[in-house]
Amino acid sequence: MPRILIVEDSPTMRSLLTSSLEELEGPVKIVEVASGFEALRHLPREPFDLIVTDINMPDINGLELVSFVKNNAAYRDIPLVIVSTERSERDRDKGIGLGADAYLVKPFEPEALRDIARRLLDDAE
Amino acid sequence: MASKGGVRGGNKAAREFVSEAEEILETMRARLADLSDCLGAGAEADPDLVNALFRAAHSLKALAGLFRFDPISSLAHKLEDVLDGLRLGRVALAPPLCAWLDETIALFGSLLGQVGDAAALAGSAARIEELTAGVAAITAPSAAPDEFASLALDPNVLRALTEYEEHRLRESLRRGRHIAVVDAPFEIKTFEEGLAELSSALRESGEVLSTLPSPGDSLESQIRFSLLVATDLPPAELAARIEFPGAAARTVRAGRAVPAAVAAPAATPAQVPAEAEGDAPAPIPELESLKSISDTVRVDIRKLDDLMNLVGELVIQRGAIGDLIARLGGRSETAKIGREFAKVHKVLDRKLRELQSAVLEVRMVPLRQVFEKVSRVVRRLRRELGKLVDLEIRGADTELDKLIVEALVDPLMHVVRNALDHAIEPAEERRALLKEESGRISIDAFQRGSHVVIEVRDDGRGIDRAALRRRAEQVGLVEPDAVLSDKETLDLIFAPGISTREQVTETSGRGVGMDIVRSNLAALGGVVDVESTPGRGTAIAITLPITLAIIQSLIVGVRDRRFAIPLNSVLETLVVDAGAIQVSEGRSLLNLRGTPLLLRRIDEEFGLTASARAVRPCVIVVGVGEQRLGLIVDRLEGQQDTVIKPIQGPVQNLRGISGATDLGDQDPVLVLDLSALVEDALRRREAA
Amino acid sequence: MSGAAPTHPESWEELARAASSHRSSPATAEALRQLLCMGVDGAPYAVPVENVREIVRVRPITPIPRAASAVRGVISLRGEILQVIDLRLRLRLAAVAPARSNRIVVVQVEDGRVAGVLVDEVREVLRVPESAIGAPVAADAGIVAALCANGGQFVSIVDPERLLEVGGRA
Repeated sequence: MPRILIVEDSPTMRSLLTSSLEELEGPVKIVEVASGFEALRHLPREPFDLIVTDINMPDINGLELVSFVKNNAAYRDIPLVIVSTERSERDRDKGIGLGADAYLVKPFEPEALRDIARRLLDDAE
Repeated sequence: MASKGGVRGGNKAAREFVSEAEEILETMRARLADLSDCLGAGAEADPDLVNALFRAAHSLKALAGLFRFDPISSLAHKLEDVLDGLRLGRVALAPPLCAWLDETIALFGSLLGQVGDAAALAGSAARIEELTAGVAAITAPSAAPDEFASLALDPNVLRALTEYEEHRLRESLRRGRHIAVVDAPFEIKTFEEGLAELSSALRESGEVLSTLPSPGDSLESQIRFSLLVATDLPPAELAARIEFPGAAARTVRAGRAVPAAVAAPAATPAQVPAEAEGDAPAPIPELESLKSISDTVRVDIRKLDDLMNLVGELVIQRGAIGDLIARLGGRSETAKIGREFAKVHKVLDRKLRELQSAVLEVRMVPLRQVFEKVSRVVRRLRRELGKLVDLEIRGADTELDKLIVEALVDPLMHVVRNALDHAIEPAEERRALLKEESGRISIDAFQRGSHVVIEVRDDGRGIDRAALRRRAEQVGLVEPDAVLSDKETLDLIFAPGISTREQVTETSGRGVGMDIVRSNLAALGGVVDVESTPGRGTAIAITLPITLAIIQSLIVGVRDRRFAIPLNSVLETLVVDAGAIQVSEGRSLLNLRGTPLLLRRIDEEFGLTASARAVRPCVIVVGVGEQRLGLIVDRLEGQQDTVIKPIQGPVQNLRGISGATDLGDQDPVLVLDLSALVEDALRRREAA
Repeated sequence: MSGAAPTHPESWEELARAASSHRSSPATAEALRQLLCMGVDGAPYAVPVENVREIVRVRPITPIPRAASAVRGVISLRGEILQVIDLRLRLRLAAVAPARSNRIVVVQVEDGRVAGVLVDEVREVLRVPESAIGAPVAADAGIVAALCANGGQFVSIVDPERLLEVGGRA
């Protein structure tokens, strides 16, 4: 069962991300956290197959989380999706530059997220 | 468009790669032309153009990495680096760089034409090296360097700044504050408290611009943080203020002498009016996604099923036309038109076959995705179980029908988990046995005729025959005095209720489940064979048909019924005298060139009694995995292309029947499930 | 289309048209249920129309060995292979010789399971108010879920879910 970590400070956005991913075929385990710090603490606890993160968050920003994940040999292989607003295109590009595997622009279509998730869960190396 | 010549006959992954890469190159050529125009007009490089180029290069790199085309991969990497530098202002856009980009993109075009042609690719290696080496000379630091480029800053810190944080950094620089990086290690479980303490200490004298986590000495239990700080305190004072174990401060840029009045604690949030200098060009909202546009189309597999059904129906109609032609040819007055008709029919037949194989090809996918899934699970399990295991995968390009590939995931995963969980010994045990400390699991896939074989081997403890036998006797599968061959004993692992290790684990449930694996694979027309050497390891071979869609079947008559037998499992057919069939201990046998062949009568199997048996029955010799069985039928009615369909309805376990097929004439014909028939025959023999 | 007796509508479309012309008084605010009424051994049985996928003439049925006796075998419907449940046998009535009026009603339930149901004849689509539907008198072979008054007769409403549970082998 794939495990997905959702990092998002807005509760509404978080539940939207979760409910979109719960619709994936087959069972998935979803762990929701509300900040980058929580994400950092959660990563070593269980092996995740996908991380979905917001960019603008209170403690560390999503880019810093991407940088951490992609520079850590233990997590580097976990595919990571950035969810950002339409306006933060530059941040999005930076995220890709840091090694994020895909991005999604808010407001997003649930199916678009699932599409990305399916692809990354399948492709994950 | 670059030539696709080199790809002809290559695999589908390569073709997809080429089509998508060509799309990307096309985009890059257009953007680069625009960029050259900018430069020609004396304007600055449009950041959007540079970004678009970077994103395209990034897609290209990701794509090349995916398809493991090393020369392309390394060049794409270089291209991405250069564009990243350009994008971040580390590299200045100058005519030589434009020329380099031009040449590199052109080289890509010709490399794509060489995909699948190893010799040609090797020939291009020198050119790639030349371009790679040449770029250093032309990527001189930007003439008007980015304001951050001169900071002695870890590029990772810079790269993870959001636009807002960049703005704050720019502001701090403008105001002449000292910029420093404070680095400190933490335990992952408790970092928040310590980090909060450190941050608040730093905030007393300035602003924390960013907090970048990075791996600690122990990847999973420790974490480091680099805090980018803008402060009015001189470096020495800042260092003195940090009373944190293991923390170190490093000045990145010394500020101007600070007027005493400003050296107040706490950062004043950005009150500074936006000035022309600090204004980054407002990003233009753009909905273009990174997903590259390509001429590949994703299709719902059900649509392909519909297409396949149509082809199947055409195949049936073709058969009917063939019959009509035979009838025309049989009468002298229509013989001539019959012959002409036959010619047309022949062409139709050929085209139909082409159509059939084209549709089939669309359904074929490489096993790679399944194998990657397996390898992820193995990585996770070895972490969870703390076992040392190397996984080797070969033949990931082997293709199978998409539906079969999907249905293969669970059984394959089960087999691999069993190997990891039960077969591979813990490291200490392996050391004691003088085995390599690290266990080995290999998965090999290869095509054999119209089947694909997937072999999972481990070098673990092997199957304990005595334990297996004991267990089988306990659950009443085998009588204590029954004599079993080694093969028959091993095959007990596929019997329901067998587990050689009583231990229940989360990983593979109980050691049981091989019966489920076998029956799941049988539903796909597949078989599982096992070989095992105690102490040395076990090999499980899964054999699957390449496609379920259209297969050649032998149509046989049994009393008043017809059945279809998949031709790929038929070894030979014999017409025998009823007297040649011997009976021994209630089993029918045939002397097949000196070897006894076990026989089964299909009419007895299914309780058919209407109308009489043929005087000279036919024996269909079928092979399922390593097993042989002769099926006794009354008539051979011919070979046909058949589309095998599942039987829908309330009755679920039709033992011995794997589906049905419509031959376009009368009632549907049931398809025999050979693996079940063989299995039952062998079991009955054991019971006898 | 050949000239079938008018009592045996040829296609599902005709039945649907017949149904819509049958509208009861518009004053009835109550929900109407549409039922496909079928004759078995002279008695009326019905299934909700939402469970009926199509109605086809009887075609050659291939018996399946060792299956429950109420399952007559399989038919091919445009390449799809469906089991056919004989409603007579399912209701434990005696088998009779096939007749021209026999039809196979393709019944589908919510989870996607589908099967053909062989009936003596297909009669009409009934539109009945919920109030006309009541509990069955007895568990009639276990598949009749309700009774519905229609004219002077009671129509037995068959539960399609239960109809499609025939059990494994004979």
